[in-house]
Amino acid sequence: MKNITIYLAGLLLLIGFGRQAQAQEVIELPMPESPSVVVKLAFRNGSITDPVGKEGLTNLTAQLLTQTGNSTLTKSQIDDILYPWAAAYWSFTDKEMSTLTFEVHRDHLDQFYEIFRGVLLNPSFAEADFTRVKSNVTNFVEQVIKSSSDEDYSKMTLEAMLYKGTNYQHMKWGSSQGLAAITLEDVKNHYRSFFTRNNVKIGITGNYPKQFLARLKADINQLPNTKPVLPKPAAPATPDGIRVQMVAKPQSLGTAIYTGYPLSINRASKDWPAMLIVNSYLGEHRKSYSRLYQLIREQRSMNYGDYTYIEWYESGGSNMLPTTGFPRSSNYFSIWIRPVQSAYSLQSQYPEMKELKVGHAHFALRLALDEIERVKNQGLTKEEFELTKQFLRSYMKLYTQTPERRLGFMLDSKFYGLNDYIAEMDKALERLSLQEVNAAAKKHLQTENMWVSMIVDADEAEALKESLLKNSPSPMTYSQAVQESLPQEVLQHDKRIEGKKLNVKEVTIIKPEQTFVAGRDK
Amino acid sequence: MFNYTFLSLLLLLVVGQQTAVGQAKGEVFPYKINQTQLPNGLNVVTVPYNSPGLAAFYIVVRVGSREEVEAGKSGFAHFFEHMMFRGTDQYSKEAYSNALKGIGASANANTWWDRTVYHMTGNAGMLDKMFELEADRFMNLKYSQADFKVEAGAVKGEYTKNYASPAMQLYEKTYDTAFENHTYKHTTIGFWDDVVDMPNQYEYSLEFYKRFYRPEYSTIIVVGDVTPERVNALAKQYFGQWERGDYQPQIPAEPEQTQTRYAHVQNPNFPPSLSLNFKGPAFSIDQKDKAALDLFAAIAFSQKSPIYKKLVVEEQKVRNIGAYGLDTRDPGLFSISTSLLKAEDMDYVKGEIERVIEQYKNQPADAKLLQEAKSRMRYSFAMDLDSPDNIANALSQVTWLTGNPADINRLFQLYEQVGPQDIQNAVRKYLVSQKLTIGTIAPAADSPFKS
Repeated sequence: MKNITIYLAGLLLLIGFGRQAQAQEVIELPMPESPSVVVKLAFRNGSITDPVGKEGLTNLTAQLLTQTGNSTLTKSQIDDILYPWAAAYWSFTDKEMSTLTFEVHRDHLDQFYEIFRGVLLNPSFAEADFTRVKSNVTNFVEQVIKSSSDEDYSKMTLEAMLYKGTNYQHMKWGSSQGLAAITLEDVKNHYRSFFTRNNVKIGITGNYPKQFLARLKADINQLPNTKPVLPKPAAPATPDGIRVQMVAKPQSLGTAIYTGYPLSINRASKDWPAMLIVNSYLGEHRKSYSRLYQLIREQRSMNYGDYTYIEWYESGGSNMLPTTGFPRSSNYFSIWIRPVQSAYSLQSQYPEMKELKVGHAHFALRLALDEIERVKNQGLTKEEFELTKQFLRSYMKLYTQTPERRLGFMLDSKFYGLNDYIAEMDKALERLSLQEVNAAAKKHLQTENMWVSMIVDADEAEALKESLLKNSPSPMTYSQAVQESLPQEVLQHDKRIEGKKLNVKEVTIIKPEQTFVAGRDK
Repeated sequence: MFNYTFLSLLLLLVVGQQTAVGQAKGEVFPYKINQTQLPNGLNVVTVPYNSPGLAAFYIVVRVGSREEVEAGKSGFAHFFEHMMFRGTDQYSKEAYSNALKGIGASANANTWWDRTVYHMTGNAGMLDKMFELEADRFMNLKYSQADFKVEAGAVKGEYTKNYASPAMQLYEKTYDTAFENHTYKHTTIGFWDDVVDMPNQYEYSLEFYKRFYRPEYSTIIVVGDVTPERVNALAKQYFGQWERGDYQPQIPAEPEQTQTRYAHVQNPNFPPSLSLNFKGPAFSIDQKDKAALDLFAAIAFSQKSPIYKKLVVEEQKVRNIGAYGLDTRDPGLFSISTSLLKAEDMDYVKGEIERVIEQYKNQPADAKLLQEAKSRMRYSFAMDLDSPDNIANALSQVTWLTGNPADINRLFQLYEQVGPQDIQNAVRKYLVSQKLTIGTIAPAADSPFKS
C-alpha cells in the first residue's frame, strides 16, 4: 500500500512537473561518469535590452544576482558555506543572451542547490552588494579596459564604431553615464522583467539524478511570469570608405589594430560553412598556418599574430578555443592585427630609425587588406580548400571537450534554430565544394568600406593620420640583422605593399577619456 | 652518469608504487597513471580516459627561464619554444605547418620559469602522426639563420602587447627587484634589451638546443582514448634513438635578502595596486613549508577570510584581495596582492594585511578552517579533471616541478599532513620584512612606502 502511494505521488509529481516544464526547453547531456553537475540557464536578454541611458543594466543585474544573498543568507555567508566544496555559480552576459552557470561536485548537489535556488528566486539585492558590484564594473569601464590590454580596447572601440547609435554600440559592461544612472531599483525591475520563466532555456550535464532535473524545472517555473519584450537587434553600419579612429596613449611601444565591416550571415545561414573555410584559411584564431599569420608574423615577424573572424570571439587573448554564451543575430567580418611596433619603440631600439615618424601600423594594415583582396579575387586552390576543410572538421570537434563547453554550444545552437551546431557544421563542411567556398569569398570579402580602430602612441598619431589620409608610401623598416636575411620575394612583396592605395576617407584622433562615456552616440 | 641511473631507479620504484595504488581510496588523482622510462631517460606517461576518439599529447621539457644562466640571454627558453615551429630537414616549416593543420589538433606551446610545454589535443587516431612530428623536431630541428632572425621579432611583438599593461610592468619590476643573482630575476619573456638583441644569438640557440632538448629533460604525457601499450610502442619507435645529453646548469644561488625593497610603477589611469612579495620556499612534496603557505593563502586571504569581508565587502576599500605562492623549483615569491579604490588608502590596507600576518605568527591557524581549505583544494582539483587536455595539463604541472607526474598524489597527501602549527611556523619563517619586496602602482612618481 505504501509503495502504491509513493508511486501515485511520484506520478502526480511527474505530471505536474511535466506540465510546468513545457514552458522551457531543456537540453540534457547526462554523463554518469562525471564527478560534477553543471547547469546553465540561458536567458534571452543581453546588453541590447539595456534601456537608453542605463547602458550596462542587464550585465549588472546578472552579476549582482550572483554576487548577492538570498532571503536567509548574505553573500558572505554563502561564500562561507560553499568554500569547502569549491562549488561556484557565475553569470556571463553578451549582446543577446545572459547565462547563469553553476558547477558543483555531485557530493554537494542538494545542499548547494538549495542555496542557488534561493538566490535565483529570491535574491536579496542588498544595497551594499549593489554599490560594490557597480563600483567594480564602473572601474572596469573607466580604467581597466583602457589601460590593461590595448588589443581588447581596440576591439571594443571597433564595435562602438560599427554599431554607433544602436543597441549594439555599448559594451555589455555599459558606459560611464549609463552606469552612473543605474539605481538598485532599476536592477530589481530589470530582474523581474528580463530574467523570467518565459525567456529561459535550461541546460544540464554531468552526474545528476532524474528527480533533480524535475525539481530544477519546477523551480524555474517560479521565476517571474513577465513576458519580456525584446528589442530588435541592430545591424552594423557599412561606412563610406575606410574610416579610422585612433585612440592616442602616451609612450606606447605598439599600435593595436582591429578592423571590421558588416556581414549579413550567421551560424544558420547558407553561406556560413563556406565562410568558416574562408575565415580559417585567412586567419584561424591563434593558429600559425593561416595566411595573415604567415605573412605578417611568420615571414616578417612584425607582431605576435594576426587573425580574422566572422563572429564575436570572446577573450581572444586568453582563449585558444571558442567559448559559448554569445549567440548574436548581427555579425561583422573583422581582422585582429596584434600590436605592431610604434615609431616610439623603433626609435628607441635602432639608431638608424631615430628620425622615423610612422611605425609599422600603416604597412601592416596595407599588407592585411591586400591579402583579403587576393583571396576575394583568386579564392583558395583545391589543395588549400581540402586541407582547410580537413583541419576544420577535426578541429571544431575540440570545441566541446568538456561537458560545460558541450552544453554551452548546444544552448547556443538553439538560438540559431539549430540542434547541434558542431555536428551540423561537420556535415555541411563534408558536402562543401571549392566553388561554393570561393563564391562566398567573392561575395562576403571586401576592403573598400570598413571601420578601423587603432590604439596608437600619442606622438605618432598625427603623422600616422596624415600617412593614411594621403596614402603616403609606408616602407617596411626592418632591423639590419633581419633585413639581411629576408628572401627577395618578401622584399619585393613589401615594395608592392608600401604604396598600396587604401580607400581611406576619414581619420579621427581621440583620447581615452572620450571613449565609453555615453551609451548611444548620435 | 651515476646520478641519472640512480634517479631512474628511484623513479621506477616510485612509479611502481603509484600504479599499484593509483585508485586507492584517498588519492586525489582518480585515474591510473601508467609510467615507463626509455633507456635514454625519456619518461613516458599514459592515462587512459573515456573520451572516444580524443587524446591529449603533451611533452614537458624541464627548461624555462630558470635555466637562462648566461648574461644577455634572458628570454631564451621562450624564444627557443618559438624556434621549435621552424622546421627540420624532413619537414620544412611549410610542410610542418601543413602537416599540423592536417591533424586538425589544438596545438601550441608555452614557457614559464621552470619548463617549456608542447601540447597537441586532437584525434586519437592521429597519434602516430603526432609522435612522428614531435619526435622529428625534438631530435632533428633545423632552422636557417634567416628564420632565426625573423622569429625574434615575434617575441618582441609578444613583449610589446604584454607591456601595455601596468600590471605586467609591475610584475617584471617586482622580480627584477626581489632577486639579485638567481635567474628568477628576469621574467620568462626576458629583459627588453635581450629581446631586441635576440636576432644576433643564432650560435647560442644551437647550443641551447643541444643542452636541453634531450630525453633526460623530457616527459611525454598522453591522456585519452589510448592504451599504455600503444603509447609506449610509439614512444620507443619514434623517440628511442634520441640521444641523452650531459648538461647540467649551475643556477646562481640567491643571497639572503636583508631589508625591504620597493618596486613601483607610476600610472594615474590604472587602479591603484599593492602587493607584498616575500621570498618563499621552493615547491616540495617532502617539506611542508610551501604547502603550509598555500594553505595559509587559502584561509587568510580567501573570500571566507575576515580581511576579505572587512576590506572588500564591508568597507569597500579594495576591489579584491588574494595571496598565492607560485610553484617553482627554487625558492620564489609568496605574494599578497590587492587592488584599491583609492591610492590614499594604501597605507591603511597595508597595515590591515600586516595585522593578519602578525595574527598568524602569534597563534596557530583555526583547525576547522584548515580542514575546509584542504577540502576545497581537493574538490577543486577533482572537478577540473573533466577532459584529456585538463588532465594532461594537471599532470604536466607536477612533472616540471619534480619530474614525476605521480607526485600529484603525494602533494595532496602533504597538504593533508599540514597542521595549524606548520602554518604558524611557515608564516614566522618567511613573512618577515627582511624578505619583503613591496610592489605598487599609483599616480605618484615614487613608491608611497619608500622613505
